[in-house]
Amino acid sequence: MTLLDVDDVSIVYEPRGAEPVTAVRGATFSLEQGEFVGLVGESGSGKSTLGFALTGLAKAPARISSGRIAFDGTDIAHLDGEDLRRQRRGGFAMVLQSGMNALNPVRTIANHFADIFAAHEHVPRGRRRERAVELVEKVELPASVLDRYPGELSGGMRQRVAIALAMSLDPRLLVFDEPTTALDVLVQRAVMDTIIELQREENFTAILVSHDLGVVLESTARVLVMHDGVIVEDGPSARILTDPQDDYTRMLLSHYADPRAEVVELPGLRVAGSQISTTGEPPAEPATDAAPSGRAGTRTGRTRAAVVLDGVSKVYPPPRRGEDPVTAVDDVSFTIEPGDALALVGASGSGKSTIAKLITGVERPTAGTVRLGDTDVGSLRRAGLRRLRRDVQMVFQDPYSALNPLHSVEYTLMRPVVNFGGLRGREARRRMLELLEIVGLTPVEQFAAKLPHQLSGGQRQRVVIARALACDPQVIIADEPVSMLDVSLRAGVLALIEDLREQWGVSLLFITHDLLSARVVTDKILVLNRGRVVERGETAQVLRFPEDDYTVELLDAVPQPGRAAD
Amino acid sequence: MTEKQATTRGETAGPTEPAPSGRDEVPDGGADVARVAAAASPLTVLGRAAGTIWSVPKARVGLILLAVFVLTAIFAPLLAPYAPTDNSFGRAEGGSAAHPLGTTTAGEDVLSQLIYGSRVSVLVGLVAGFGATLIAVLLGMSWGYTRGFAADVINFFVNLFLVIPGLPLMIVLAAYLQGGGLSMIIFVVVITGWAWGARVLRSQTQSLRSRDFITAAQFSGESSFRVVFREILPNMTSLITGSFFGAATAAILAESGLSFLGLGNTAMVSWGSMLFWAQNSNAILTGQWVLLFAPGLCIALLATSLTLINFGVDGLSNPRLREGKGR
Repeated sequence: MTLLDVDDVSIVYEPRGAEPVTAVRGATFSLEQGEFVGLVGESGSGKSTLGFALTGLAKAPARISSGRIAFDGTDIAHLDGEDLRRQRRGGFAMVLQSGMNALNPVRTIANHFADIFAAHEHVPRGRRRERAVELVEKVELPASVLDRYPGELSGGMRQRVAIALAMSLDPRLLVFDEPTTALDVLVQRAVMDTIIELQREENFTAILVSHDLGVVLESTARVLVMHDGVIVEDGPSARILTDPQDDYTRMLLSHYADPRAEVVELPGLRVAGSQISTTGEPPAEPATDAAPSGRAGTRTGRTRAAVVLDGVSKVYPPPRRGEDPVTAVDDVSFTIEPGDALALVGASGSGKSTIAKLITGVERPTAGTVRLGDTDVGSLRRAGLRRLRRDVQMVFQDPYSALNPLHSVEYTLMRPVVNFGGLRGREARRRMLELLEIVGLTPVEQFAAKLPHQLSGGQRQRVVIARALACDPQVIIADEPVSMLDVSLRAGVLALIEDLREQWGVSLLFITHDLLSARVVTDKILVLNRGRVVERGETAQVLRFPEDDYTVELLDAVPQPGRAAD
Repeated sequence: MTEKQATTRGETAGPTEPAPSGRDEVPDGGADVARVAAAASPLTVLGRAAGTIWSVPKARVGLILLAVFVLTAIFAPLLAPYAPTDNSFGRAEGGSAAHPLGTTTAGEDVLSQLIYGSRVSVLVGLVAGFGATLIAVLLGMSWGYTRGFAADVINFFVNLFLVIPGLPLMIVLAAYLQGGGLSMIIFVVVITGWAWGARVLRSQTQSLRSRDFITAAQFSGESSFRVVFREILPNMTSLITGSFFGAATAAILAESGLSFLGLGNTAMVSWGSMLFWAQNSNAILTGQWVLLFAPGLCIALLATSLTLINFGVDGLSNPRLREGKGR
């Protein structure tokens, strides 16, 4: 039985005072009852827009400009508010990416269920509690969560509650829009497993909207690939994995690899054993080799210094009265020799970002010492910290918030050049253009004039890297530098980081939860769990032959399209 | 996109925030190119801001109203049939062809007084509004950016001014500075009017302070002063503009109130002092309701015009609010 029939649907955005943009073009497909389908695409591909439209949630300025969405025979594209509301019961529901933030913080979980039951009156008053317990148990939560407030639950638990809420109207079609993206790596896996299990048991039709082809191939039986608003591929997961028809799908697939493999290959990057080589130019990211060669060593000829952490602990005061103090980092020691690359991996809350803050002097250690060469970072005061920033720079996780939206690339890059380099006027400008060339943003003059919103995520991250390089630092701390980027852009940025380290001899502290990228750009690795080092060694060695259970768990969380076929 | 973190990237990628396409290339869209070309010169930025405000119907009404009042104030000598203090006419006359709104009990032409009175209100509104906003920006932003002792000191003063009831303080100050004229009124209004703005700007500064691009600016070796005024301030344009119009409204109302209470210079012709004299001469009892009604309406309209403009200001730095209906 065909449950959903989407026929030549186009969706346009019509913002006031701007050109309309077509987000989805001629989408045509149909879903059978009980199918689990993945909808994959990178940011801007229109996948979420389509997902919203399927559940009647498309809102201004988005408009379904043509086509027909038939749900069980009725066209929902043109239903009005009240009809749509009634359709939601036994019809379609949606679980949002930030669904866990959709819970009202001042009401208990039970209240959320009660609201829905009351609005649709499909559960008799006396049975409501019972039904709510049933629902939360379906998503593997204890019945006791019903009496708790959203703030008392973890992100994963809240997302499970959001799924249970979506289930409470017995939908026949459930759309999951990036249901696990905002969660921690390890939790992601567990929630995804619950969703798969649930779909199998309840046999509803489900659409999993995701940017991650790996996750989708692992969990769904059929995959739709979207690119620039067009569905470019539609087929069974197994076939897409082994025999992708479209170039775009093939390109996406090429960006997945197993960090445990002996040889790891990404477009533009190849790592075998512990030797790293950069092969040629990555297809999607041109001109990474633009850096002037033969310039190893710092420009100003300063002596290189190692970063040494010795028995460092950081304890934060208790978050609420009566609770225990929080130990974020517990007796961690390591050294980054000049020019080395060290990966710091762990799930969220493992203390990796706190270590970054300790090295940059943003926080002071509770015990132990953090040193850069002869400088004791923990004891620096304001002027000392300013000097430290010449040597220690950061690349931020989110390129969308790391650049001031109102400043041009030129302004952003000129500031550190002027402040630290002591250059003025034309010389400073020349240096700024040189930086743009190093990170491969050519033609430089054109990029210098641009504002952040005119750049893609990968280009923004290159600007962030250029800014970090501007004062010719000795150490760069990269805090999840690729986790916010589309999969296809990651390899290019990683290749750039790898390249810079080799050419300029900068030490690198690479903080990540993504073991694949750690494998590609670092030589040594440190696995952190709750502030403690659980495993350390050569990156290739540790990832290929992990000893600690936690490391194994992290490795299992890496999405691999190939695993679905096993 | 000032306040929503980019963590919501996965959602509907609206065209206002061009999302990167699959490949690493400049996002297309002619609108963006135009927008950037516009960003180049401060004058065009101003023009674009005015355009944004103009595109909101409510704000458009407000702008037209305000323009009428400002033009009236500027061209008062040309528009008014008589001098405002000319008391050579018959006393307490009703409306006639010579005096459309009648005359006061002192024998002055009401229409001329009304036209000249707009000068005081508009001037006080703009100057005091600007002054209060300036103090609010300086204190609010440094308060929001710094931590520790300095912030505590500012906190103390702002709370002090928030706790003291505005009108009584104004009355006390005005009574103490009796006879200072217009500048005294402006001073009093500024002193009592900046605290709320400072509070609002402080909380926004605090939320911007934790953004990555602020940390990045610190890592670029920027001084605190530069971080506050070059990185944070431009991101708060709409808030600052909004608080300016709010402060100007409050200033106009405060000036009228003070003059009405006879605490300003009662010899100066303003809408407030017109009300003061009308009240003094029991205008309502003698049937001269226009004496109270006309200046009252003008005060209300001027304040309303500023409030209406504020509806349009929301869209200045928040593109989502520009998209309009059906949200």
